[in-house]
Amino acid sequence: MSQPETPSNLSTKPQTEDLRIGVFVCHCGLNIAGTVDIKQVVEYAKTIPDVVFVKENRYTCADPGQEEIRNAIKEQKLNRVVIAACSPRMHEATFRRTVSEAGLNPFLYEMANIREFASWCHPSTPQEATERAKDAVRMAVAKARLLMPLQTIEVPVTNKALIIGGGIAGMNAALDLAEMGFKVYMLENTQSIGGHMAALDKTFPTLDCSICIEGPKMVDCGRHPNIQIFAYSDLVKVEGYIGNFKVKIRKNPRYVIPQRCTGCGECKDVCPIEYPNEWDMNLGTRKAISVPFDQAVPLIYAINKDYCIECFKCVDVCGERQAIDFEQKAEEVDIEVGAIIVSTGFDVYLPYDMPLLGYGKYPNVITSMEFERLILAAGPTGGKVLRQSDGQKPHSVAFIQCVGSRDKNKYPYCSNYCCMYTLKHVVQLKEKYKEDVEVYVFYMDMRTPGKGYEEFYDRARERGVNFIRGRVSRIEEDPKTNNLTLYSEDANLGHPIEVNVEMVVLATASIPKKGSDEIARILNLSRGADGFFMESHPKLKPLDAPTDGVFFAGACQGLKDIPASVSQGSGAAARAATVISKPKWKIEPIISIVDETKCRNKTAKCGVCVDKCPYGAIKAEPNKAATIITASCHGCGTCVAECPQHAITQMHFTDAQIMAQIRAALERDPEDKILAILCNWCSYAGADLAGTSRFEYPPSVRAIRVMCSGRVDREFILEAFRLGAGMVLVGACHLPYDCHYISGNYKMKARTDALKGMLTKLGMSPQRFRVEYVSAAEGIHYAEVIKEIDADMKALGKEKIKEENAKLKPTLENMLKRWKKT
Amino acid sequence: MPFKTQKLDTAEALTLEWILQNKHYKLTLDKKQCVGCQICSLACPKEAIKIQKQPKVQGEKVKKATVDVDLAKCIFCGICDITCPYGAVKVTLNDSRNINIVEKESFPELVRNIKIDTRNCPKDCEVCVEACPLDQLTISRVTFDGKPVENLAALSPSQRRHVVVSVNIPKEKCPTCKACEYKCPAGVIKMGKIFEGKIAIDQSKCPAGCHDCVDVCPITDTLTFVDGKVQVNEATCVYCGACKVVCPIDEALTVKRTRVLHTPVHSGTWNKALERLTSPMDAVKELKSIGNKKAQEMVKKRAVTEEVIR
Ligand SMILES: Cc1cc2nc3c(=O)[nH]c(=O)nc-3n(C[C@H](O)[C@H](O)[C@H](O)COP(=O)(O)OP(=O)(O)OC[C@H]3O[C@@H](n4cnc5c(N)ncnc54)[C@H](O)[C@@H]3O)c2cc1C
Ligand code: SF4
Ligand code: SF4
Repeated sequence: MSQPETPSNLSTKPQTEDLRIGVFVCHCGLNIAGTVDIKQVVEYAKTIPDVVFVKENRYTCADPGQEEIRNAIKEQKLNRVVIAACSPRMHEATFRRTVSEAGLNPFLYEMANIREFASWCHPSTPQEATERAKDAVRMAVAKARLLMPLQTIEVPVTNKALIIGGGIAGMNAALDLAEMGFKVYMLENTQSIGGHMAALDKTFPTLDCSICIEGPKMVDCGRHPNIQIFAYSDLVKVEGYIGNFKVKIRKNPRYVIPQRCTGCGECKDVCPIEYPNEWDMNLGTRKAISVPFDQAVPLIYAINKDYCIECFKCVDVCGERQAIDFEQKAEEVDIEVGAIIVSTGFDVYLPYDMPLLGYGKYPNVITSMEFERLILAAGPTGGKVLRQSDGQKPHSVAFIQCVGSRDKNKYPYCSNYCCMYTLKHVVQLKEKYKEDVEVYVFYMDMRTPGKGYEEFYDRARERGVNFIRGRVSRIEEDPKTNNLTLYSEDANLGHPIEVNVEMVVLATASIPKKGSDEIARILNLSRGADGFFMESHPKLKPLDAPTDGVFFAGACQGLKDIPASVSQGSGAAARAATVISKPKWKIEPIISIVDETKCRNKTAKCGVCVDKCPYGAIKAEPNKAATIITASCHGCGTCVAECPQHAITQMHFTDAQIMAQIRAALERDPEDKILAILCNWCSYAGADLAGTSRFEYPPSVRAIRVMCSGRVDREFILEAFRLGAGMVLVGACHLPYDCHYISGNYKMKARTDALKGMLTKLGMSPQRFRVEYVSAAEGIHYAEVIKEIDADMKALGKEKIKEENAKLKPTLENMLKRWKKT
Repeated sequence: MPFKTQKLDTAEALTLEWILQNKHYKLTLDKKQCVGCQICSLACPKEAIKIQKQPKVQGEKVKKATVDVDLAKCIFCGICDITCPYGAVKVTLNDSRNINIVEKESFPELVRNIKIDTRNCPKDCEVCVEACPLDQLTISRVTFDGKPVENLAALSPSQRRHVVVSVNIPKEKCPTCKACEYKCPAGVIKMGKIFEGKIAIDQSKCPAGCHDCVDVCPITDTLTFVDGKVQVNEATCVYCGACKVVCPIDEALTVKRTRVLHTPVHSGTWNKALERLTSPMDAVKELKSIGNKKAQEMVKKRAVTEEVIR
């Protein structure tokens, strides 16, 4: 799919018309005017070149204030607007609307933050606060001069969705979307949808039969006119962007023609060959031609050629129907969708690598998932819990919790539902075999936070189960009886204990699904330290992937039980619908674009930007200039800072604009100033909070906003020091996961670490350049940081700073050669 | 217990296992009985069986080839068990012979046409016992009232007259060499061979003094080394091909099977096995006789492509 044209208005060349800048200074009642001397600011603004109109308002954001702006634009023929008021995080959108209502392009206006960043944080030094406000206006005007009109980008939307993974989460998402009227493709890589739930016996806490409640949903998915299932198929490739994904799917050969197979199963009856059924945890077998389980959807048989001996008995019995085709080949299908939901679930950990527990060695040590298959009436033992060693019913069973989970050496996280399913297992066992079976549960903590869950725990306790708090250190088997001895400590009693049982059930960790790395690569998703998919924001965007138009449902994003997976499925459907219900999708035009003439990739292999883009939005084909997929670009600007050729420009945050802000900030007494470049989402918000909370800090700081710390070019810092800045601060979101753009902060860190090394080698005191991680909630931290930097600056003294700067200057000027002309 | 697979290789036997919750598949190869022919490896639909020629030590008799089964490929279908002329391989499911493929008519049983009528047996004759090159054949005698005879000489003549002799041939272990039939003075045993075929030795191609084939042939006197030359007595040859496996010269020895006696079956697996046990030509012959056109074409097609590949 071709990417949407980079809109023609996205020119990187500044306007040439005569500038007519209007400046509006807000009192915000007394919020600003109580500290900042508005008169001074107004008078000062009038002296700034290109400013043709200055006006003060009591409340700029109120209707009369906005009206004044609109009138001034029209009457004064303003072509740039600067509003000195509160934080742009507060009212940037409001005033964009205001200026566009007056016919001015909404991107031809800039805010100067003189409330959170001046009056509120410097109340006891009103003159300094006023100076800071003046500088803020000058900086905003400097940027405004270079602003370019931008148009919101619109891309058409394909009103269809793809669900990857047909477990309970994916099925719910599919059904909800299908019911809303959208066409849904459902991709499942095994032979049937259903996921883990289809293999469970009962479900906690109500103990309803799992397949009885899931089966109908599976059938609904299979029958729904809006749902098309691609089972036994793999995701090959995804191209495109939100609203416009082009997906390639490979249908693996079943050697049975779906349209002809009636699911009668006569072939299975004549087939002589059996092999272990993976779906059954390999406890039972299936035929070389078969379905994994009777309720499979779609009910289409498949031949496993690894086991088939080509006797063609199935072909004979299938007869007239002619559904069997030994020549069938894998087939690739292309589909187009507007949104994708990933619901690939999890895998169960098999603890072969924990030899002290004897799994795989002692026949009567099993996992919980195997226990599910044993106690299930349709399972390989017909619902009898039997020992593998002798086929006898055990008279004592021990359940061990947290096998692999909450284990620093294996999987440090809690697997969420193991406590609950073990309680389910013990209740089932006790209800089935009554007094005939002694049950022990070894646990670390019993976690039952859920509706009706604690009550379920009580139910287990009432059944006379022995709950022992302690980790089992090892299990030994009596080779004659195959009985097992567990060695543990009883944490409540504080002494070691030994327990003899006839069977052990290990509640093993649930782990990231095999193949998640492949899915992550194809869809450009990231995975957390635990291996599960990372959501865009852990609190506010728990269903959104960092790639726009991709959403998560179920255990693939983090382990969760069935009710939570179902809810997330519906949630993800709703999120996907926000995209595919629209005919067009709007994209903020603050994206980056490549100047083809400068890109090095045309002549030499470069592609630096491709690797650095957190969204995989850049393509650099050999001997061609790199291109950025507009709709995939999130506008962090990391590539801009990384490009060795300065070939990339971020709209609305161009190099020239930011350089102009830096120069304006350091125009007067640079040695006394702290130049701060703050990322919009965390550190700028943290600085805002410092103001809102009235945490006072030294007024020596001048702050510039970028969307992401990844945008912070080395040149910005070099320029600041070249101009003589006392101190420089780069503010970012906390490592490792807070970055709004996945990993911009890491890219910034690598870049600034190297830069700092270089600057200190050149003789700069290391404390003069700082990188700080400040979250949106850490107003106090921001204030402390500025205090520290200010103190460091005072301790160094102006003379020392000047001296260092003089030493640095020739090197810096040389490094900034390309800016000489401007 | 998770699904477990295991393989054990000892001096006496090779064992492969699949252990599931309540199913236990097991393949056992009795190394003493195995003669190192290649019948099983030709019949195996999964190409799981490899015949390994043993290195020859100068001055020693050549050793019979050994058989190895690949645990990753074996599916415990039991075809090797069914086709081994010597009954050296057993495939069991939960300790009883796994003949699902036979029951589902996916594979035939080999037919050993052995007819024994012991009415004419001289009561004290043991010729057949001695004739059996594999020491499989046994004789038992009971008195008229069914009591086992301990000492024939101790019986009175009339008691002797009423002794009932039976000749016992363990069917699945008999390769039908007919040695007993030939040696029997009373024409008691009538035997049809499992395989019909042809064995030929081009003595001019044999390296001087070589008698490797003679050394490995399990059927005594079928191959003999006389006056520096190998002689063939085709009458007792079972066409298993153990000799062919060890013969160092390709053109010196040919063993061809042209027909396999088996229970009737209609199965792709068998057609392929037949083709490899005999030849595509011979397989087509059999298919013609049962009128299976489609299968004949498939065999022919395979033969052509194989030719092309070669
Ligand atoms: C032993 C055990 C007992 C449990 N008991 C209970 C219980 O009683 N009650 C309860 O609420 N919860 C229980 N759970 C938890 C429950 O299993 C999960 O909450 C639920 O299965 C999560 O659903 P899901 O759809 O997210 O994932 P899954 O069920 O894992 O489904 C994921 C689906 O995606 C498919 N898939 C994976 N990768 C790909 C790919 N690359 N391409 C295409 N398709 C793919 C899979 O094949 C599968 O069909 C239990 C879990 C275990 C291990
Ligand atoms: S051809 Fe294969 S799948 Fe069909 S019956 Fe025979 S073994 Fe089973
Ligand atoms: S980093 Fe710059 S020069 Fe290199 S490919 Fe990307 S745009 Fe081109």
